[in-house]
Amino acid sequence: MHISSEWNFAGRLVERLGKNSDLIDAATGKTFPATDVPGLIVGFAAGFLSTGMQPGDRVLISCDLSPASSLAYLGAVYAGCVPVLVDGRTLAASGDLVFAKAHAKAAWTAQGIRWDWARNNNFPQVEGTFDPRPAHLLRPSPCSENDLAVLMPTSGSTGVPRLVMVSHGNLIANTEAIIRSQHLATDEKAMLIMPVSYCFGASIMHTHLYQGGGVVFDSRFMFPDKVLRAINQYGCTTFAGVPTVYNILLRRSHLGSIALPGLRRFLQAGGALAPESIQQLRKIVPTPDFLVMYGQTEATARISHLPSDRLGEKLGSAGMPLDNLTVRIVDDMGQELPNGQTGEIQVRGPSVCGGYLDDPEATQCKFDHGWLKTGDLGSLDAEGCLWISGRAGEFIKIRGFRVSFAEVEAKVSAIPGVYECAAAGVHHPEAGEALALFIVGDNGAQALVERVRHALPPQWTCNSVKLVAELPRTANGKIARSQLQTLV
Amino acid sequence: MEEVLAKVQTAFKSAFHVDPRTITLDTSPDDVPAWDSMGHVTLASDLERAFGLNFDVDDLMAMENVREICRVVQSKLGKVEGAHLQ
Repeated sequence: MHISSEWNFAGRLVERLGKNSDLIDAATGKTFPATDVPGLIVGFAAGFLSTGMQPGDRVLISCDLSPASSLAYLGAVYAGCVPVLVDGRTLAASGDLVFAKAHAKAAWTAQGIRWDWARNNNFPQVEGTFDPRPAHLLRPSPCSENDLAVLMPTSGSTGVPRLVMVSHGNLIANTEAIIRSQHLATDEKAMLIMPVSYCFGASIMHTHLYQGGGVVFDSRFMFPDKVLRAINQYGCTTFAGVPTVYNILLRRSHLGSIALPGLRRFLQAGGALAPESIQQLRKIVPTPDFLVMYGQTEATARISHLPSDRLGEKLGSAGMPLDNLTVRIVDDMGQELPNGQTGEIQVRGPSVCGGYLDDPEATQCKFDHGWLKTGDLGSLDAEGCLWISGRAGEFIKIRGFRVSFAEVEAKVSAIPGVYECAAAGVHHPEAGEALALFIVGDNGAQALVERVRHALPPQWTCNSVKLVAELPRTANGKIARSQLQTLV
Repeated sequence: MEEVLAKVQTAFKSAFHVDPRTITLDTSPDDVPAWDSMGHVTLASDLERAFGLNFDVDDLMAMENVREICRVVQSKLGKVEGAHLQ
């Protein structure tokens, strides 16, 4: 196995930073200028090593929406330590369990540990930023392509997250393929409203810095107009979000009256956004590209992308696999299916990860001889575009036929008066299982419930339609399926 | 104002499962970990239910801290009462 500093992902990234690689906290206006960023990352690396940590040691990184957690994360990777990325909410609730699960040596936070579970014992913590240090004084820790670079929590799960083992080679391969697919220039600046503990957020940060661009972090998406104005204020060229983010922009912002002249692209991943919402967005903001993507943490981040110029003809598709990945569709027996037939989506290539930390059983279920078994259902068309019909664990069988929540939710969301919809399954004496729908819609409309019921095709046995104020969401903005089940 | 604050505190409890006594006029999103973009929407819905109001985009944008929330609620309540009198 070839061991070299060149395989160190953070080392490569530091070398490629450019004059546009500022890191900015939009909430405070605090800016880490591009000239300081390489030294700050190396400073973090030196700082971690000075606390007694060794290459290979794991360090919990508390990820909020500010530059510091990205600097800490990249600094740890540069030093050869393995960061375990955790968002603030997960840390507060079960940080001690994640710490134990990852066999971490320390926890890093921007402002000191404030969590109850850490107060009682003498918790090994590292706090704040370190002084910058020139890169020639500390070379990136040598490693091999397959060495563990970072432990990423899988999103959407309840309780203690599973930790995906992501290697330096995985990060390099996925980052470079995404850059090629989006034609990222060297003067890009991303507006990031997702923490880097979410693989989608991390991929935005990686690709923009790796290409010599910069990142603006904004924690104020609860006030969407502030984020829209910050896009202009800082000259952001990329905006990324999950479906909920775009639904909030459509419903709860002044997207139509705040022009975004410098924005080059919207990126959307993390679940299916209703085609109607995409069309509505395109109408309101027609100039920037709109790129739909599909991915999983177990494949580092991104798997496929739909270029903006094919959006019209392929609306609803998750696009083509990245240029270094192979996607196939298999049936229940593991046999590869021809184009047009629906089965499990499987992925192979250099960004498919090595498995879950200390969980051989789950790893065996998900990874098979280099193929990632996504658990998602879909088909490939004649031109190699991927059409996803259901996400893992997100479908039910009505009268023996598989119905995916994604399909139901897209159909119901398109009914006039419905803003958003979430579907769950309930036991049904005749159909086996039936739908329980939750809708967010125009105020006070019993008529809307009736309209939804009438609009459903007859084969979709529906047990209930409930109007709710909001759908339960995970920290990453995805529908919280487990919570939904408790509302049934 | 106190009555409004008490109801706002209750809304915080139902939206974020926090101790309502920790919510003061000076509380901002920095103080409540779950008060993020999704949380803000949940909170707004709970406030709408508690006060029988409907917030528009501008109201949501103005609710930057508890003091502003109380101000928005009071101003809207004033308008609603005014409407009843006419």
